[in-house]
Amino acid sequence: MSSSPNHKDHAALAAQFNKDEARVDWHDQTLWFVRAKRDRAAAQVPDWETLRDTASRIKDNVLSNLSEYLRQFEAAATRNGIIVHWAADAQEHNDIVLSILRDHSVDRMVKSKSMLTEECHLNEFLKDNGVEVVDTDLGERVVQLAGEPPSHIVLPCIHWKKEEIGQLFHKHLGTPEGNADPQFLTHAARLHLREKFLTRRAALTGVNFAVAETGEFVVCTNEGNADMGAHLADVHIACMGIEKLIPQRRHLGVFLRLLTRSATGQPITTYSSHFKRPRRGQEMHIVLVDNGRSTHLGRKDFRNSLKCIRCAACFNTCPVYRRSGGHSYHTAVAGPIGSILSPNLDMKQYSDLPFASTLCGSCSNVCPVKIDIHEQLYKWRQVIVQEGNAAASKTAAMKTMSWVLSNPGVYHTAGKTGRWFMLNVPFAVKNKWNSWYLQRELPEPPKQSFGQWYKKNRK
Amino acid sequence: MSSRDKILATVKNNQPGPRDLPPDYNSPAANAPDLTPQFINILEAIGGAAFLVSGYDRIATILHEQFPDARRILTSCPQLTAFAAGRTAAAALSAAEPGNPHSLETVDLAILPAHFGVAENGACWITESQMIERVLPFITQNLALIIPRNAIVATMHQAYDRIAALEAAANTSAAPPQAEGFATFIAGPSKTADIEQSLVLGAHGPRSLTVFLVDEHLSDAGFF
Amino acid sequence: MRVGLFIPCYVDQFYPQVGIATLELLEKVGCTVVYPPDQTCCGQPMANSGFEHLTGQCTKLFIKNFNEFDYIVSPSGSCVLHIKEHSHETAGIHNKIYELVEFLTDILKIDRLDASFPYRVGLHQSCHGQRGLHLAQMSELMAPPFSKPARLLNMVQKIQLIDLDRKDECCGFGGTFCVAEEAVSVKMGKDRVADHAKHGAEVITGSDMSCLMHLEGILQRQKSPVKVKHIAEILNSTIE
Repeated sequence: MSSSPNHKDHAALAAQFNKDEARVDWHDQTLWFVRAKRDRAAAQVPDWETLRDTASRIKDNVLSNLSEYLRQFEAAATRNGIIVHWAADAQEHNDIVLSILRDHSVDRMVKSKSMLTEECHLNEFLKDNGVEVVDTDLGERVVQLAGEPPSHIVLPCIHWKKEEIGQLFHKHLGTPEGNADPQFLTHAARLHLREKFLTRRAALTGVNFAVAETGEFVVCTNEGNADMGAHLADVHIACMGIEKLIPQRRHLGVFLRLLTRSATGQPITTYSSHFKRPRRGQEMHIVLVDNGRSTHLGRKDFRNSLKCIRCAACFNTCPVYRRSGGHSYHTAVAGPIGSILSPNLDMKQYSDLPFASTLCGSCSNVCPVKIDIHEQLYKWRQVIVQEGNAAASKTAAMKTMSWVLSNPGVYHTAGKTGRWFMLNVPFAVKNKWNSWYLQRELPEPPKQSFGQWYKKNRK
Repeated sequence: MSSRDKILATVKNNQPGPRDLPPDYNSPAANAPDLTPQFINILEAIGGAAFLVSGYDRIATILHEQFPDARRILTSCPQLTAFAAGRTAAAALSAAEPGNPHSLETVDLAILPAHFGVAENGACWITESQMIERVLPFITQNLALIIPRNAIVATMHQAYDRIAALEAAANTSAAPPQAEGFATFIAGPSKTADIEQSLVLGAHGPRSLTVFLVDEHLSDAGFF
Repeated sequence: MRVGLFIPCYVDQFYPQVGIATLELLEKVGCTVVYPPDQTCCGQPMANSGFEHLTGQCTKLFIKNFNEFDYIVSPSGSCVLHIKEHSHETAGIHNKIYELVEFLTDILKIDRLDASFPYRVGLHQSCHGQRGLHLAQMSELMAPPFSKPARLLNMVQKIQLIDLDRKDECCGFGGTFCVAEEAVSVKMGKDRVADHAKHGAEVITGSDMSCLMHLEGILQRQKSPVKVKHIAEILNSTIE
């Protein structure tokens, strides 16, 4: 994901994705199904909207006291025997992880889901430095074997069909060719990964929530892979973005009620593991990562995106994400939340993302912590243009539009002229260079505008 | 300036103005008369099994029927040690090697007590001192948990109240155990839907979860 | 009460019948309606493209045209939302500008209409009107359902409102999105159209002509018999 000037933007990648309409339908319906499950689960919670509001306000409090909570967490975690590290950026995070592994002469590690490590490109870095990483979440293992990044932060291989996974497992795990049975394939992955859990001395996990009051952190999985890795390893490294703190342990009640219902429609993940102290004989580390978050905290219009608990409800509800797929966003965290987080990391590279939206507002209304996602998408557009990231042709067109629309006489003439051309020189607009016309008819130009009708009939 | 200092300074500088915490949250559904049906319904919906039993003899009988092929059974319940040892193929396998979690790889069935259940999601809270080894509830092929029937709370808010009470009690007891360094909510067997949203039970953790709700006032006739 | 009629630029140029229906409907229910002839646009196309800073003149013109009225009414949820939320210097106007459906429901409190429209009609909930102006409850929230447009449509004789699989999914127009992300935009529109067709719609209606223009473009390319009609046209339809 280098900032190559030739990398395709969301529109181009999405157009490619849409070449296979049946596949788009499948991807869209699968993710809509997850949205529908979320709705059913939320409907079971009588106080759902109050819960969202409570979570939002707790996170507001966290952001407004983040430096104090970070200190409190560090002190409590250290008292618990957890070794706390601070990483200013992705590179430092990667270096810290590597140095811990080297201290223990570890060159093979298991890893459970951590979008932060995707953001930091940890796997590639460790590989370049002679450390093998095995992703143990089934979906992540699929994309790892396929050599691609996850397309969804909760359902990493949602874009893979079971036949394709069957083929992949046949190639890498030796399962019988043509077997696409999810039960069978999952069992094959169970055996394959169990061997890794039993033989790797280091395990890296993400962090869903870290509690400032108690210095503990919580890792939520359905598969149990985070626990299988951590409880068998001599070294457990947990990586977290600094914004993942919550103030008190009792607040977990609020967040654990919201997280999985929002993410998959389940009332809770199978495992919600609370890590407080290392196992006897084990070393437990936590790496607190900034990587642009402290800067983002200072952006008045955008800091609310740091409340995110990475549930992906916004992905599942987004009609654009469902029909373009996570890879069209060319960033670690895709979807609506990714579109308001990524420009903070690199505005130029991600200037297309806030425009990959119709601003329908569905995302903001499923967000369990009430991030004003669609409003931030609008505001990022203004910032991106002001910072000079709009194409010159677009800026020129907009300036022209502004001039026309500020001058009634010009507007009326332009309207008349436009309609005249559409009527008499249809090829002027009915051609392959007019994107509207590729798959849609243009409206029939009427003989007179409403303004002209009113003047004639009502004045 | 260390990264720590840089980060803390930037964060402090950029934090928005003070926003108070909302008042403590109290979920409305706090006092339903009997939470057992909800707990059982949800546990079964998420792939677990539930049995309402009068005592440990019933548990042993049911487990004997449900897991006829289990060769290695481990338990931290003194009332079931005999059952576990009696079923385990070689006597040497029944005990866990302290400090060697890898040795638990061959456990077919682990029977462990838990502190309480949560009705809204079918979860049980189990802490390290109940697990024998942290990895045991995950590495075992099948897991059975035992809770008192009246130890079911309605929602996660009550769950954390209960956890705080348990901790307070542990801290004041005459011989406080090593404070729990690890604990978890377990809701059903391990699972994944990563392959085309098809739900498969038994990902990396146990392939089955059975919860026994013990109620001494039950008679053995007419049980679930 | 004097109502200033605000007609979106593309309605003015391409769908004058919607402006006419809106005007006639408002007069039918007792309003004195004036159409300021020098109005042009609310500025939304520029603002949504990131050029909010170029909308100042446009907004000034809007204020100049509409400041004098008791109410400003427009057959467009997205334009009204834009004026309310994204144009900054119109403090007075924010409080008196209404989209047509909300004006009929909340201000005029219409509870009957002399209209007839004997067709199977699918209601498209345009996003800005629904989630922005709260014209109807959104499926994302756990909250009691309501729909101001449906309530008005149900006052029309012989109309049959159909169900949909996805009641409030976006149609994909989204302003310049409709051409900048043409592939996704069209796919979204096709899926909306298919949902309506699946449930036997003969006409698709809504309170934003931009959405309907996009859906109509797709319907016509498909040579579908399904038509689009702005809600003003249905509410204003006469009894045969």
